[in-house]
Amino acid sequence: MLIQQIVNGLTLGAIYSLIALGYTLVYGILTMINFAHSEVLMLGAFMALGLAALLPAVFGTGLVGLAGMFILSMAGAGLINVIIERLAYRPLRHISRLAPLISAIGVSIILQNGVFLWVSTQSLRFPEPVVIDQVQVFGATVSTLQIIILAAALILMGLLHFFVEHTKLGKAMRACSDDIQTAGLMGINSDYIIALTFFVGGALGGAAGVLYGMNYGSIKYNLGFLPGAKAFTAAVLGGIGNIRGAVLGGFILGFLEVLASGYIPNGAQWRDVIAFTVLIIVLLVRPSGLLGEKIAEKV
Amino acid sequence: MKALLRWRWTPWVALALAAAFPMFASVLDAQYLVRVGGIIGLFMLLGLGLNFTLGYAGLFDLGFIAFYAIGAYTTAIAMRAGVPAPLALGISVIVAVAFRALLGLTILRLRGDYLAVVTMGFGEIARLTINNLDSLTNGPKGLQLAPWRPLSFVSADPNTQYYLLILGAVALGCIASNRLEDSRVGRAWIAIREDEIAARLSGIPVRHYKLLAFTLSAAFAGLAGGLFAQWEQFVTPESFVFWESILVVSIVVLGGMGSIPGVLVGALVLVGFPPIMQWKLSSEWINYRYFFFGLILVLVTLFRPQGILPSSRREAELTS
Amino acid sequence: MTLRKAFAVAAVVLAASCGPKEKTVKIAVAVPLTGDMGTEGQGLRRAVEMAVEEANAAKRFPYKLVAAPYDDRADPKEAVNVANLIISDPNVVAVVGHYNSGCAIPAAKVYARAPVAMISPAATNPEVTAQQDSTDWSGPRIVFRVVPTDDVQGSYAAQFAFKSLGKRRMTLLHDKTPYGQGLGEQFKKTFIGLGGKIVSEDGVSVGDKDFKALLTKVRSDASKPEGIYFGGLYTEAGLLLKQMRELGLKEPFAFISGDGSKTPSIFDVAGDAADGAYLSIVGVPVEELPSAKTFVEDYKKRWTGSGEELKPFDHFGYEAAQVIFAAIERAGGPDRTKVIEEIRKTDYTGVLGRTTFDAKGDTLNKIVTMTRARAKDRAFPSVK
Repeated sequence: MLIQQIVNGLTLGAIYSLIALGYTLVYGILTMINFAHSEVLMLGAFMALGLAALLPAVFGTGLVGLAGMFILSMAGAGLINVIIERLAYRPLRHISRLAPLISAIGVSIILQNGVFLWVSTQSLRFPEPVVIDQVQVFGATVSTLQIIILAAALILMGLLHFFVEHTKLGKAMRACSDDIQTAGLMGINSDYIIALTFFVGGALGGAAGVLYGMNYGSIKYNLGFLPGAKAFTAAVLGGIGNIRGAVLGGFILGFLEVLASGYIPNGAQWRDVIAFTVLIIVLLVRPSGLLGEKIAEKV
Repeated sequence: MKALLRWRWTPWVALALAAAFPMFASVLDAQYLVRVGGIIGLFMLLGLGLNFTLGYAGLFDLGFIAFYAIGAYTTAIAMRAGVPAPLALGISVIVAVAFRALLGLTILRLRGDYLAVVTMGFGEIARLTINNLDSLTNGPKGLQLAPWRPLSFVSADPNTQYYLLILGAVALGCIASNRLEDSRVGRAWIAIREDEIAARLSGIPVRHYKLLAFTLSAAFAGLAGGLFAQWEQFVTPESFVFWESILVVSIVVLGGMGSIPGVLVGALVLVGFPPIMQWKLSSEWINYRYFFFGLILVLVTLFRPQGILPSSRREAELTS
Repeated sequence: MTLRKAFAVAAVVLAASCGPKEKTVKIAVAVPLTGDMGTEGQGLRRAVEMAVEEANAAKRFPYKLVAAPYDDRADPKEAVNVANLIISDPNVVAVVGHYNSGCAIPAAKVYARAPVAMISPAATNPEVTAQQDSTDWSGPRIVFRVVPTDDVQGSYAAQFAFKSLGKRRMTLLHDKTPYGQGLGEQFKKTFIGLGGKIVSEDGVSVGDKDFKALLTKVRSDASKPEGIYFGGLYTEAGLLLKQMRELGLKEPFAFISGDGSKTPSIFDVAGDAADGAYLSIVGVPVEELPSAKTFVEDYKKRWTGSGEELKPFDHFGYEAAQVIFAAIERAGGPDRTKVIEEIRKTDYTGVLGRTTFDAKGDTLNKIVTMTRARAKDRAFPSVK
């Protein structure tokens, strides 16, 4: 059973990590919690569904189709995130810390209800472009789907790491994350970098949405809320604003949930209580999250 | 408008009008509004409570509704055990405050968004525990309460009775908030909110004042929860979901952080709007209520980011 | 200035979308129309609307019937708000609602003050009707249910599992709602009473998607359970089934659940994984009830949009409306109090079979049939 639970934990953790990255990137640069992120991930899933429905020959079949569906949904989700930032957050950025938050809540409500009203009020079957097999690995049943999910998540995280650490734009993002005003003084167009950050964060969220749809087989207008809240918790657990922290937090939360459901009698009922309790304990011991830095405040 | 807000009799006139409202309502065929008014009042109470934590002390709390739940369930359990209603309300306030104090002692050292997540976590822990602890709370099936109708001499209608009770509680809450706001305590809170380190360096015992703000909030929540339980005669975990905590935060921020009239108007708008839409929109449009609500939220924030009725201090800060 | 402009725009939009107030006879449909439970509520609304349309088309009454929707968002305080709104509209003659027991219980107290009849198509907590026996209840008995309380299906399923399927060790799962938990508790009681063993028990949350860890625990359980009984709805049931198959839990490992799972939508969630699941329903087998078959076909013809497929409780909503129509006819007109009395005397045979109410207001239609899901044509043939 242990191997199986490890596989379960890895899959769940991978999805949480991707979503958590979206939260952490935006927070790092703006110290803002993007409440609408959970809806961006939901829209990513719906866009993939839409693509497969519109052009089933292209996107509905094969690995190429799957990749295409993936990339387009990611781009779409990223774009939506950028538009939201431009319309609902940017005007408020300099005014107050909490105003963009309320705006984000409003955007989240609009998007969720929008899909409910204009797409579908019920669960929709998610396309399966690739045939799914079960393989036996050390006594655990692993589906090829889980392998795809884990691989996709790791690839994306790797790409993000490369982008942030080894490209000029990535450097600019890091600079803005550290100190946006000074970065501006250095000649970085902070508005542009912020938009880019939202794009990348949204794209990762969209990817998570597609993986989510693939993993669970069906999507619904309210699919974003719960994983969004959990991934946000994971991002904070790892140290909000810290990319590695988000990944670490995501996997830890995934494993925590699996351990609670899988090993504790009656654990599934108490799973979220256990997860949040562990979170509180961790934060009491490390108040800035596992990998968060204690930023000295200049007085 | 501004002049009206500054006139010292405005709150009393507003209170009198609000108290007289149920009488007009039956004439205007708007009894529904008395019910809606009562619910708005409960959220005014909650908003005033959260105002201490978020508005004055600047602590980001995403799990406030847990204490509303604790108040409601304590009242329910107490009354079912035979405790008379007013005493049950008092016990609920004490229990809510006690839990809150415990939580505060544990987590208040966390800053900003870490505190937010931990409070959100506690909110969920409370709700899930209530849902799972069948032996105490009857779990998802909920608990029934015997009716308490203390104002039967005014009106037989429970909606009117509770409207007036809640109005009284809100009035008391406003007076208490106002007194505290203008006191040393209030000024200390604002100092902490504006610049915690400077406050500490000025000799303000930051930890104590934070805990005070945090704990006082729960008194309001506990009272509101108790009144809610007695009015509905029924409590169930479904009434205390995470979304409600977000709603209270929105009320405080959108109304105007640290502003008493702001919080009241915030509750009026955010809690009043959907039921009014339910009443006035034709059937085809009812499904769109919350879509419109989201739009309103975004638009009001974009046009009045400082809040609908911000405190004068905040207005000065944000528009200079 | 800009704030005033915004409010002005809002006021215009509001005025434009206000409906005219005509004299019509309304059947209120008080269900969650938006929010997390919106899917199910919209289904009930469609079912009642279809019933109303049929009645109007057949010119059953000399006035126009209208299905008036009210959204309670599965939130008990919204339900009470909506109840207050409903009773203040003199055109409303009866209420089909609510969907959640947590909403039905407090709302019923409001309806009793009017009084106006409330027939619930889905609230299964016994307290919904039992509260009328309490000394705290003020007003006449106005609560009725066309859906039976939990004690029927759970027990039947236990008998089926023990006797027909020969299972001796089962795992119990439920979704921690009054409906699901109620089914589960009844199953457990009966199954143990027959001599079976509940190997393990756990709860899941509505809205949860990932049950792999839980199912892995079930799969590896040393006591070797032979099946899962799940008290809950089709979304969670479908996900459980899908993940069970992914983990290798197939026949003869059984999956048994109740009528909340018996809907073609379960195939949207689980696909072929739902094949072979045992799902109990209330009423005689659909094959033996032509009116039930007709209802399903008519519904399919009437509602063709995305998301408008038949949901598990829709036929209860339809039947509740029919009971109300029959009561209005017997009462001689849309008089709230008379309609309450006539509903009490209901003896109606329709898509659920024969519906009559006991003194509490609960339906005496307690026949349960077991069906088995068949993925290839999205059907649920009855099994013995």
